[in-house]
Amino acid sequence: MNLWRYVIWRVLTMVPTLVLISALVFVIIELPPGDYFESYLAELKALGETADLAEIEQLRTRYHFDEPMPVRYLYWVGGMLHGDFGYSFEYRLPVSDVVGDRLWLTVMLSFVTIVFTWVIAFPIGIYSATHQYSWGDYGLTLVGMIGISVPNFVLAIVLMYFANIWFGTSIGNLMDQKFLGQPMSWDKFTSILDHLWIPVIIIGSAGTAGMIRRLRANLLDELRKQYVVTARAKGMKSVPLLLKYPLRMSLNFFVSDIGSILPSIISGAEVVAIVLSLETTGPMLIKALQSQDMYLAGSFLMFLAFLTVIGMLVSDIALAFLDPRIRLGGDSTK
Amino acid sequence: MITRRRTMALMGASLATGLGHAVHADTDYFAARVASGELPDMAARLPVNPRVVNLAAMGREPGQSGGTIRTLIGGQRDIRYMPINGYARLVGYDMALNLQADILASFEVVEGRIYTLHLREGHRWSDGNPFTAEDFRFFWEDIATNTDFYPDGPPTDYIVGGKPPTFELIDPLTVRFSWDSPSPEFLPKLAAPVGLRLMVPSTYLKPFHPKYGDADAIAAAVVAQKVDDWIALLQKLARSNRPENPDLPSLEPWVPRTSPPAEQFVFERNPYFHRVDENGVQLPYIDRYVMNVSTADLIPAKTATGESDLQFVGLDFTDFTLLKQAEDIHPVRVALWKRIQGSRVALIPNLNCADDGWRSVMQDVRVRRAMSLAVDRDEINAALFYGLAVPSANTLLPESPLFKPEYAAAYSSYDPDTANRLLDEAGLDKRDAAGLRLLPDGRPTNIIVESSGESTLETDVLELIRDHFRRIGLAIFPRSSERDVFRSRALGGQIVMSVFNGLDNAVATADMSPSELAPTIDDQLQWPLWGSYFLSNGTQGKAPDLPQVQRLVDLFYAWQTSASTEARTAIWTEMLEINADQMYTIGTVNGSLQPVVAANWLRNLPDDGLIGYDPTSYLGIYLPDTFWKDAAS
Amino acid sequence: MISPLPGPGDPMTHYVSTAPFDPNSMAQHVEQQSANMTTSQWRLMWWKFKRHRLAVVSLVFLIVMYVSIIIAELLAPYALESRNLNAIYAPPQQVHLFDEGQFVGPFVYGRNMTLDLKTLQRIYVDDPAEVNKLRFFCRGDTYLFWGLVAADWHLVCPAKGEDLFLLGTDRLGRDVLSRIIYGARISLTIGLFGVAVSFVLGIIVGGLAGYHGGWIDIALTRVTEVLQSIPSIPLWLALAAVIPITWSPLLVYLGITLILGLLDWTGLARAVRSKLFSLREEDYVTAAQVMGAGSARIIGRHLIPGFMSHLIASAALTVPGMILGETALSFLGLGLRPPITSWGILLAEARSVNIIAIYPWLLYPIVPVVLIILAFNFLGDGLRDAADPYQ
Repeated sequence: MNLWRYVIWRVLTMVPTLVLISALVFVIIELPPGDYFESYLAELKALGETADLAEIEQLRTRYHFDEPMPVRYLYWVGGMLHGDFGYSFEYRLPVSDVVGDRLWLTVMLSFVTIVFTWVIAFPIGIYSATHQYSWGDYGLTLVGMIGISVPNFVLAIVLMYFANIWFGTSIGNLMDQKFLGQPMSWDKFTSILDHLWIPVIIIGSAGTAGMIRRLRANLLDELRKQYVVTARAKGMKSVPLLLKYPLRMSLNFFVSDIGSILPSIISGAEVVAIVLSLETTGPMLIKALQSQDMYLAGSFLMFLAFLTVIGMLVSDIALAFLDPRIRLGGDSTK
Repeated sequence: MITRRRTMALMGASLATGLGHAVHADTDYFAARVASGELPDMAARLPVNPRVVNLAAMGREPGQSGGTIRTLIGGQRDIRYMPINGYARLVGYDMALNLQADILASFEVVEGRIYTLHLREGHRWSDGNPFTAEDFRFFWEDIATNTDFYPDGPPTDYIVGGKPPTFELIDPLTVRFSWDSPSPEFLPKLAAPVGLRLMVPSTYLKPFHPKYGDADAIAAAVVAQKVDDWIALLQKLARSNRPENPDLPSLEPWVPRTSPPAEQFVFERNPYFHRVDENGVQLPYIDRYVMNVSTADLIPAKTATGESDLQFVGLDFTDFTLLKQAEDIHPVRVALWKRIQGSRVALIPNLNCADDGWRSVMQDVRVRRAMSLAVDRDEINAALFYGLAVPSANTLLPESPLFKPEYAAAYSSYDPDTANRLLDEAGLDKRDAAGLRLLPDGRPTNIIVESSGESTLETDVLELIRDHFRRIGLAIFPRSSERDVFRSRALGGQIVMSVFNGLDNAVATADMSPSELAPTIDDQLQWPLWGSYFLSNGTQGKAPDLPQVQRLVDLFYAWQTSASTEARTAIWTEMLEINADQMYTIGTVNGSLQPVVAANWLRNLPDDGLIGYDPTSYLGIYLPDTFWKDAAS
Repeated sequence: MISPLPGPGDPMTHYVSTAPFDPNSMAQHVEQQSANMTTSQWRLMWWKFKRHRLAVVSLVFLIVMYVSIIIAELLAPYALESRNLNAIYAPPQQVHLFDEGQFVGPFVYGRNMTLDLKTLQRIYVDDPAEVNKLRFFCRGDTYLFWGLVAADWHLVCPAKGEDLFLLGTDRLGRDVLSRIIYGARISLTIGLFGVAVSFVLGIIVGGLAGYHGGWIDIALTRVTEVLQSIPSIPLWLALAAVIPITWSPLLVYLGITLILGLLDWTGLARAVRSKLFSLREEDYVTAAQVMGAGSARIIGRHLIPGFMSHLIASAALTVPGMILGETALSFLGLGLRPPITSWGILLAEARSVNIIAIYPWLLYPIVPVVLIILAFNFLGDGLRDAADPYQ
């Protein structure tokens, strides 16, 4: 198989994947019993409030709540194909209008988090692999693991609380209140930086341990190979030796990781973002799921899944460029 | 900081230019726009006869204009609190819950069914267009009775005895609604947190109505607003209970300036608001009201770090200690207001549950009385409310003119011996080896009590009650349900017993509807099927088969057609007596407290008050437009 | 040169050993060698594993923890449902050994509670006059051991009629330490059961895909891709929401483990698949095929054992994810619910700033969570390093 045929084949396989994903997403948003209006009425009742029942009835019929599930699925998928992502009952806006700035903040948060993860994981991973079973190895691995051992939401609350006590950082959000809805300025930017480090540390540290572990394992494998032993025997110094081949080889997994790291960062970010009340997409998604704002939740999930599928595609293709063995595999010889 | 500085600058400017003005200088906020001719000056913006709020007579101090109130909300939807707290109504409650004209100059009621409403001369919408009888006519004739809009006729809120009212436009400042039979719910509905709508800003909306507007322009607006047709367009543009359309003219003290979606919603004072203080200063005092969206869980923490200037949404009694500690660090103060629920947490047996064995047990008044007597309310009060709540049956609070101590005391003392005796008499006298009572059909009395699963308070109360009930040989198993399936499960009879709030409005007067005391709607957890029967006029649900419940329904019908307050008082009294005697719901404690946090500079916010949805409209009856910022503090 | 060959017709000059000859000796030797190798593979792994000192410590720690959940009722000073309404939000008590310079053995001071009505806070003050010696191997709250046998023996109890709250109490006066000990039973097993589910699924799916390749591989790869591309929390939410509320706590618990397992197998399946891709080309597989073994037998008998050690290592690394998953679900209000007590539920109850600021001891459940997760991670690392003992 040549490279281009591989790329085309890989792109084509996305189609059934996306169809399957859309079906699964629809099941997810339909699975919980009840619907948005039930949950809305119940919430108001708990507050002792009342709602406009006539308007709810209208919305119910307009959005085919009386039709069976497969029909609604077709309405939804059909709408998405020509750019109609449905209607958010909670926001009373078309879904495409709801997301707003949140997407950019999410992208920024994810990007900074990935960079943070790499910056931390890289040196620790190399050190651990080259000094296996030393106390430094244990110590640094332990540091790397703290992040995954504390449940994110607890860590978030604790960090947020002490950041407020010690540094006076305002509780929650990605910026001080007064900058909400303001155009970007230097003050707003520094305010974002003041708040950004908490979620970045929490979300990033959760991924760091995994990254360190994979880098360490990959490097250890490489370091045991014949060519390394040979080079060492010939008297090559260890640092250039390390940089020359083993490190490069083990870098492949950074590329292959992009696809899998994205959903995990987004997943990890959701709970943290809820706790910290971040203006990212995570809390919006979870809230939509919990209140059964089905089109908002569904289109959102579809979008995230689409991003991930693209991420996997890109990383697969990049790997195929880097490592020809990949694109040759996959076929049974029998 | 920026806002304050800008306001100061504006104040300085207006002082310099405004020296020549008469006694009532205009609010500084509009000084620039008045100077540029964009707005008329204050005297021209007020109605000829504004509503004068005499603050000194209310025991408050008249203040000065200016300042911004920041508050936190748990989601974008919660901007609905703005018109509730703003509380500009045609007719509204005062602090003693008496009805009084607010937007209206006055109103007359004849035979309890003919309502004549007089508008204020020169009253204007927030966009400066006159507010006149035409706004009522346009709403009634072109929307409410428009069969495109409402194919089945006007919404049920306007229907009394099966018929809508007759609308008459008497003159530009007078309209009349007349029903065939007395309609006592009309005025309370106008005064409700979401007031019954009788008028819309016609000048703004007419261009979007096919009868008045240009078809092409409407079609373009339909596309631009991403709606399906002109009906949805009008609905969207005219929605006022969630102020999402900054262009929609309003009569509220603050008008929205932010289109969703946003994380911060800014409301600005209405230049044409119809209330003034005794010194002739136009209300509201506060210039801007800013709502910041946050996660509901973080509201207490953010409030405790001084990020809110006026907060009750999202705060709970359990947050009090944290908030009180914040008083030492931040310039805020915490007050405890009284919630108006009939019971903070109530046990609600389902008289309509599908299980035959349980239904007959739950319908036995002796069982319900026994369960009420078994609850140790003092323990609940001490453990969860620091002893600050009041042990009581689920009934009215002493603040209500209809309250009698015997309602609260009914079967609410802790008396497990009597409870055991009552259960024995009710046929639950057999017990298993572990001492658990058996139903007449031989099953053990394991009661699954479902809660909507949102509040730990409910599960905590249940934990305590579980021990209390064990002493009378009943076993309860708390389960938290999804609250969106709660209602349908109750209606389907799958719930045997639930735990929920008590009466929503326990400070009722005789003029308010006693619908909570009778089966009137299908979300009443003690009798969902009977409520559904009433709601659907007998097409769904089941007719009540207990004589006392049927009596409640009859009494409620009688109230709906009563013409005098005396008659209503008598009806209320009998309904309260039946409820106290029959123990349809089992209250625990009421009068529980709600923290209200305010910035130290905020004046005129009472130190205590009643807080709830209907009738107090949260802060509404306490007139937040009279709160002001004391710049000196 | 002397020719090595004898002359024509002469007998060959050669040496014949007179020692007895066993024609099977070579075979025996190979057998012996292979026996050596198979027994020593695990032994080699153990040697290798021992070099990871933290992993060994973790293993011991985990064994102790898992043994302790068997006797949770004995270890906890109070029964699971015990409440003490006179000691609501009581801070942890310190254990002392010396009172006024005299050794009295482990004891706590009695405490007096006052209610501060200004801040609505219960304030507890030690009363140095009251010395309450701890009792050991004593009778205290009654409980049903394993839900079956009524008993009242505890490892440690408060002095008669007094309190012993080593980690403080919560809003209903429940002992935090006892709740942590009982919660361990749920939290520690939820990971194991979940991993078992994901293990079985992962091996079956990954095995089929990796061994057969072709369309089965493509289909299964798509499914894992689909599951991996949807963030896990929405999947949890959806599945947890369909657990009927009438289910008993035990069923809910099983349901949650099933959910955690159902959503976790994809990583394992991918690992199995890629391993099989390389292994199935080995000669011994071809040999087995030639001898007519079916694919289930080849996968189960020949291939899986080849990398079982890897699977065990990755399973050890999956358990912490499950434990954390349970806490996340509890945080979102789904999953396990009171009256079940798990660490996730304890932490979810302690998730407000209120708690951190005023009642920080309710965060103690974080300590066992962190320790367990670290231990599993180190154990997994150690196992993984040891998985290939020949390297």
